[in-house]
Amino acid sequence: MGSREKILSALGIARNRGFEVELSFPILSFGDRVCAFVENLKKAGGESIVAEGELSKILAREVGDADSVVDTTSILYGSFSYKKGEEVDVAILGADLAVAENGALWIDTEDRYPRSLLTLARKIVVILEEDAIVDTMHQAYERVDFSKVSYALFMSGPSKTADIEQSLVFGAHGAVAMTAVLIPSKRA
Amino acid sequence: MKNHAAEAEKFVADSARAHWHDEALWYVRRKRDVAASQLPEWEELREVAGKIKKNTVENLAYYLELFEREAQNNGIEIYWAMDARECNETVEKILREEGARRIVKSKSMLSEECGLNDYLQERGYEIVDTDLGERIVQLHGDRPSHIVLPAIHLKKEDVSEIFHEHMATRKGESDPEYLTKEARKSLRRSFLEADAAITGVNFALAREGAFVVCTNEGNADLGTAMAGVHIACMGIEKVIPSARELGVFTRLLARSATGQAVTTYTSHFRRPKAGGRLCVVIVDNGRSGLLSSGESEALSCMRCGACMNSCPVYRRSGGHSYGSTIPGPIGSVLSAAGNMDEFASLPFACTLCASCDNVCPSSIALHDLLYGLREDAIKSEAYRGKRTLLKAAAWLLLHPSLYAFVMNLYRRLYPFIPRRILYGRWNVWGRERELPEPARRSFAQIYEEMSDGK
Repeated sequence: MGSREKILSALGIARNRGFEVELSFPILSFGDRVCAFVENLKKAGGESIVAEGELSKILAREVGDADSVVDTTSILYGSFSYKKGEEVDVAILGADLAVAENGALWIDTEDRYPRSLLTLARKIVVILEEDAIVDTMHQAYERVDFSKVSYALFMSGPSKTADIEQSLVFGAHGAVAMTAVLIPSKRA
Repeated sequence: MKNHAAEAEKFVADSARAHWHDEALWYVRRKRDVAASQLPEWEELREVAGKIKKNTVENLAYYLELFEREAQNNGIEIYWAMDARECNETVEKILREEGARRIVKSKSMLSEECGLNDYLQERGYEIVDTDLGERIVQLHGDRPSHIVLPAIHLKKEDVSEIFHEHMATRKGESDPEYLTKEARKSLRRSFLEADAAITGVNFALAREGAFVVCTNEGNADLGTAMAGVHIACMGIEKVIPSARELGVFTRLLARSATGQAVTTYTSHFRRPKAGGRLCVVIVDNGRSGLLSSGESEALSCMRCGACMNSCPVYRRSGGHSYGSTIPGPIGSVLSAAGNMDEFASLPFACTLCASCDNVCPSSIALHDLLYGLREDAIKSEAYRGKRTLLKAAAWLLLHPSLYAFVMNLYRRLYPFIPRRILYGRWNVWGRERELPEPARRSFAQIYEEMSDGK
């Protein structure tokens, strides 16, 4: 008998198929989700910009005089190329989901670029429609379609650590800075 | 047998440091309180999390098989390991297939439990812990003293010395910002050169066949993005039904652990990257045995560390005093339930204040479990002396006239017993305390005198 069978038989024959946990209590909601998102991302060390005017100008300002920029949204630059392991100054990404209660942005690589971009970019700029902000993680996971996901993450602010005497330092391994650019919803 | 009290004594010998440790952890506990107070539904969430975990643990075979099937459909390779040895062998087999020599590892308490680092190093692999706290203790030849804050027992001056020795940082420079940046530079090289990445698993999603790794540093993301093969080791209890339940756990985990609303990186792995391998090793290592014991509730633990930050004993005795991979209240339960002969002293490393129960995000009744384990602990070989003593005391109490005689003798002799005998080595209780002066007459004598006249 292999270990698989040994473990499964040690666990018994219980076979649950229908369990659904009930969230039968009121769940936190915000009057102004954009405001809550901005505040909570700030607590996590990230910046937010509510976009007024032309988006490409705002992005150009965020990029500044950076040498290497990877724009996966094609808003600032028409195309992009990125090879695994490249260290770049700025990555511009799009997100179609974010969470007000914790300032987290859902970033899905959609296998369009190597995963290392998300940690090897010194600064991450994420473009997000205001409508895409939900109250809590409960609503967030209801919106995610996992059948399309290879690797995706909720990212809340830049990389950080407090492993030395509880002193918070940004840029432990990944991005040193993160900015969310909030744009009005297309539907509005 | 390991002796918590004896180990704790070494820790408290440096009283300034012990006090600092206590304060540092209480600071984290207070941050947790603030975060929890911001969610009106906090208590309901804890209750639901406990129910979800209980359901999953009771039906583990179903959820594990479902996870396996769905994960394999997504191109994830699934391996099963009965014990630590098989886990280590499985990991090494995969590394050998890949011809991997350089390994970056993000935090995994399971790999600590299995002694994976030592196993691989002995076989010539270069394994680098990439979580900053774990890197510090690795360079120091030390062990983590906390599951979320591995280097909480070290001060920045210690880290400065460790880094100076191993990474040639400036001597005496102990600014955390400087030290962290130096570690970033040094570890960046390891990441870029890595052949394989090993991570733990925070949650495995049965229905989605995916798993989640939570970090603040992004080290799991960077390591797995660079290395050709990603090996994730998970205990069998890490599976939850689906992403729906993940909403509950991601809301609880970071708030309980560090007081953050969520970890910086909550990363979902569902398919291997192009040209890469994604392997999950599902490890039992005593967990299925725990399932049929009175302590099965301990399998609901999501490893947030809140019970440690809250525990007055942990804060004052340090994580190493427990002598187990996982310290604190949950560690005492897991270790004692798994190996009572070795860890019989741990159920007593507890004041039964229940502070841990009140912060546990899975609502595990930790102090009840510890209280229950004391009954087993006292039966173990290590407590034979105490057991005999208690039996003798019980016998004496069952013989009232003999008891009265002995106590009377003690009252009369007390003034003449020299201190060095009364407070000799045998008197553990009296080490930190003064014995009360015996009353001149016993309660029974006074009662008799008072009722005589009536």
